[in-house]
Amino acid sequence: MSRRLIKLFFLASLKHPLRLVLMVLGIALGVSCVVAIDMAKTSVSKSFELSTAALTSRATHQIKGSRFEISQSIFTRIRTRLGIARSAPVIATHVKVKEFKGSVLTLMGMDPFSETHFRRLVVQGQKGSVTQNLAGLLTQGNGVLVSKRHGVQYGLKPGDTLTLLLGKNRRKTRIAGFVDTQDSASNKMLDGVVLADISLAQEILGMGENISRIDLILTASQVEKIRRILPVGAVLVETSQQNSVVRSLSTSFETSLTAFSMLALFMGIFLIYNTVSFSVARQRKRNGILRALGATRSQLFWAVMIEVMIYALAGSVLGVLLGVLLGHGVVSAVCSTVSDMYFVLTVSQVEIVGSTLVKGVLAGMLSSTLAAFFPAVTAAHIQPITLMQRSASESTLKKRLPAFTLGGILIIGIALGVLFGFPGSQESDFIGVFLAFIGYAFLAPVFILCFIKGVLFAGSPFVRGIVRIAMKNIVRSLSRTSVLIASLAVVTSVYIGVAIMTQSFRASIEDWVDGHIGGDIHVSSADEIQRSLDPALVEAICNLPAVADVSAYNIHRIFSRTSGEVHVFSYVRDLSEKQWTWTAAAQATLPKLFDQGWIYVSEIFARQNNIVPNGFARVVLETEQGPVSFKIAGIFRDFFMGGGRIVVSREVMAAFWGHDDVTALQVFLDPGVPVAPVIDRINGFIPKTAMVRVVSGVSIKHSILAVFDRTFLITSGLQILTAIVALTGILNSFMALLLERTREMGILRACGAERQQVFRLLLWECASCGVAAGMMALPLGAWLAWILVHVVNFRSFGWTYEMVVTPLVFVQALFSAGVAALAAGVFPGISAGRIDIGQALHME
Amino acid sequence: MEGDGVDILLNDIFKAYDDSYDQRIIFDAMTAVFPAGEFSVIMGKSGVGKSSLLNLISGIDLPDKGRITIGTNRVSEMNDTQRTVFRRQHIGFVYQSFNLIPVLSVLENVTLVAELDGVPPSVARKKAISLLDTVGLSDRCRHYPDNLSGGEQQRVAIVRSLVNDPKILLADEPTGNLDQETGGLVLQMLTDLAKNSGKSLIMVTHSPEAIAYADQVYVVADHTLIARPGRP
Repeated sequence: MSRRLIKLFFLASLKHPLRLVLMVLGIALGVSCVVAIDMAKTSVSKSFELSTAALTSRATHQIKGSRFEISQSIFTRIRTRLGIARSAPVIATHVKVKEFKGSVLTLMGMDPFSETHFRRLVVQGQKGSVTQNLAGLLTQGNGVLVSKRHGVQYGLKPGDTLTLLLGKNRRKTRIAGFVDTQDSASNKMLDGVVLADISLAQEILGMGENISRIDLILTASQVEKIRRILPVGAVLVETSQQNSVVRSLSTSFETSLTAFSMLALFMGIFLIYNTVSFSVARQRKRNGILRALGATRSQLFWAVMIEVMIYALAGSVLGVLLGVLLGHGVVSAVCSTVSDMYFVLTVSQVEIVGSTLVKGVLAGMLSSTLAAFFPAVTAAHIQPITLMQRSASESTLKKRLPAFTLGGILIIGIALGVLFGFPGSQESDFIGVFLAFIGYAFLAPVFILCFIKGVLFAGSPFVRGIVRIAMKNIVRSLSRTSVLIASLAVVTSVYIGVAIMTQSFRASIEDWVDGHIGGDIHVSSADEIQRSLDPALVEAICNLPAVADVSAYNIHRIFSRTSGEVHVFSYVRDLSEKQWTWTAAAQATLPKLFDQGWIYVSEIFARQNNIVPNGFARVVLETEQGPVSFKIAGIFRDFFMGGGRIVVSREVMAAFWGHDDVTALQVFLDPGVPVAPVIDRINGFIPKTAMVRVVSGVSIKHSILAVFDRTFLITSGLQILTAIVALTGILNSFMALLLERTREMGILRACGAERQQVFRLLLWECASCGVAAGMMALPLGAWLAWILVHVVNFRSFGWTYEMVVTPLVFVQALFSAGVAALAAGVFPGISAGRIDIGQALHME
Repeated sequence: MEGDGVDILLNDIFKAYDDSYDQRIIFDAMTAVFPAGEFSVIMGKSGVGKSSLLNLISGIDLPDKGRITIGTNRVSEMNDTQRTVFRRQHIGFVYQSFNLIPVLSVLENVTLVAELDGVPPSVARKKAISLLDTVGLSDRCRHYPDNLSGGEQQRVAIVRSLVNDPKILLADEPTGNLDQETGGLVLQMLTDLAKNSGKSLIMVTHSPEAIAYADQVYVVADHTLIARPGRP
């Protein structure tokens, strides 16, 4: 490869630094999205590991209760009867710590004597001495251990008070010492826990002689021995399998973020393609001369590719740096969403791994290679006959139009095949959508031809002068404008798709909150362990004069092998309106099935347990009587995440999980009664020591909507970045289009076109391109919305909801596309008006 | 602009260009008159400023000093928009390299100038076809410039320069890219069209044939315009 040749190509591109900067910036932004999202995914994994998995990592197995509680006597039996020394009782629940500004930590109750096999901790005591004698520290008074880093961060020292907040209750403990290790990762893990002696944890949580679980390190033969002695209601599970069940809850959400980040890169491909193909087109004559002078096709091909690769490398490196900066914000937002919706992350770790950075650079380089390949091939195949014929490329495109159109239809066909041929695969959904985008982009030339000709025909009495010329120019430069319009159409369709999805989702959530959660006031137990509301309190609330009616629920957590933590509901009285997505029988007969012991499950639970809606649908649940198979009467729409929800009759709840109490109330007031005074009255019934939460229905609704809005904030952020990449591409394309037509502009000016006319001409061209892209985006956007609502969301999250389409979204999209293109045309338009006519006329 | 023809007056013109190292003076205290309806030929060595002179007359460029008057219009004192409109309505320009817009068809290239001036498309189209017919190209309306020969392209350029019925035609080496025979035909056509409609024609050329047709011949030399008798 000739160095001089490469230098020649570089010198040509360096003549247009702004376009070059835009291209590098486009690559950088695309790469930054990929890096930021990959960082967020890695960080969620790491945070999960530090918050949950690391605390159990040495245990091969765990014994859990079907109600997330087991008797401590099981531990005693394992130790004494089976002689399994590598076992430890554990209590784990989430608490807030006042001195740590209300951070959520895991209160971990442990037996210091059993811990050595599982967690080896070095502790700095009150006098600064270092010890491994946990028992000595934890068994004195209300002693707890926290991480040294946290202690230093919040200015605490051994001996200071640490206040644990459990709902409304406060429990004062004493810092017995700081735990510290030589390993920074382990220290980070310890940031998420408050360690206490198991008896203190039992006392704080009111668990009596119960514990959360038993951690075990077992051999194969010991597994069988334990299974034989386990009482009903206790379950032996593999730790790694359980951790992966919980971890998998948020993977769909993370994959959808990856897809969004790839979209920004996808826009980057359009941008690079545009820039390089313009550059190749502009250098037709130079390349023809080089060919005539003896440069081989391969030399020209590689000269283009190497030039692009070097800019791509610069863009990718910049993108990685931007991505790392952006990543810190994204990690925080994603961790917060995961904690809100899937599982609690007590440690938020920003994790930057080498593979993320390499992935970013590779993504930038590979997408640039892909984007530059065809322009490079074009450069290599330049024929002397076409040297001076710009119109030749246009007529070539027009000749190939049927092939392009057929190709586009074929790719869309493949996309639909991928989308609907591999049900259940989230990856295939996204590949299908991306293929559909590509196929649709191939239809851009024929769409533009039809659209512009249609407008010129239909509006011939009105579309005149400059406007007519501008519209015709779009068709005349079809090889250029179709790429530009296709990229703007894709980004606009994503706007439409996501806007309709968000709007539909929000409307469905509001319906669901109103119908399913409903009520003017919610009263519920804030005690994770003792969840029952005092019957006297329930009666007092029901007897309040302003209360029209109440729904009374019995809600408990149960353990599921497939979903982790599942909430089981039974109704003492139910006024909620369920939205059924499947029922085993006519709705009228459902109560009868329900009374016979059939159960209702939420969509998310159904998806996680692969429940196929048919008359024989069943699910095995862990109960106090061991695993029991339940018949499913119906699947209801539900937007609570985590492990999902199950509704059973009071009899089933009492028989299989031993609960027959009321844990939550929905209070419906008489019309016109103000809520706040009733809340005050209810609070008046509640003793100060009781952990009862009383909130208005409106605030519950707002807090639920806020969680979902936070989730959409991330996708909106990525969408904005994608739009920026696309707009960068459009601006770059318009500038390139102007550059290519400098002589044409000079001729126009010489022939008497005023500056304003040239400016208006360019603006009309840009606006027409924008409107054409907007029009092209409308069907694609509507289709994308349908796919997102009915295919992607259902497969990814297990949600179904109605698609709500308002014309305003389409109008906004059309307007935005037009305005974006118009804005991108201002600078090139002004430049076009200011060109030196004399120089432009002599340009090649 | 009143009357059938207009005189073009260039009074005490100074024009220089800054290049990388120095200032290059093109005209210094140059004064000239191009009488209405006459065919003037401009000659001179390469780079002396022949094309610059046409650019000054057409208002594409402005003198650094001096005044350019066409009829009663002081072109050098007009702003950019005024000069552009003036050029569009009163000056037709024919170039050596034709300067047709490659993505516009023959008919569109011609109608463009009329449409820029607000002429209704149907009127512009009618006029363009009629003019193309006079140069024998009415059957090539839908063709693109790349599909035409050099002579045909120049005929289209001539028609374009005439579509707004200007009083002045400027031609910058219009036969420079054509073979002798085609060049001769184009020259004949241009001079005939100018003469028959009483237009002033100022042509930069080295063609002896053109000089033979000219009413007046000028040579650009020593930063000024020197008159030489025409029609030897």
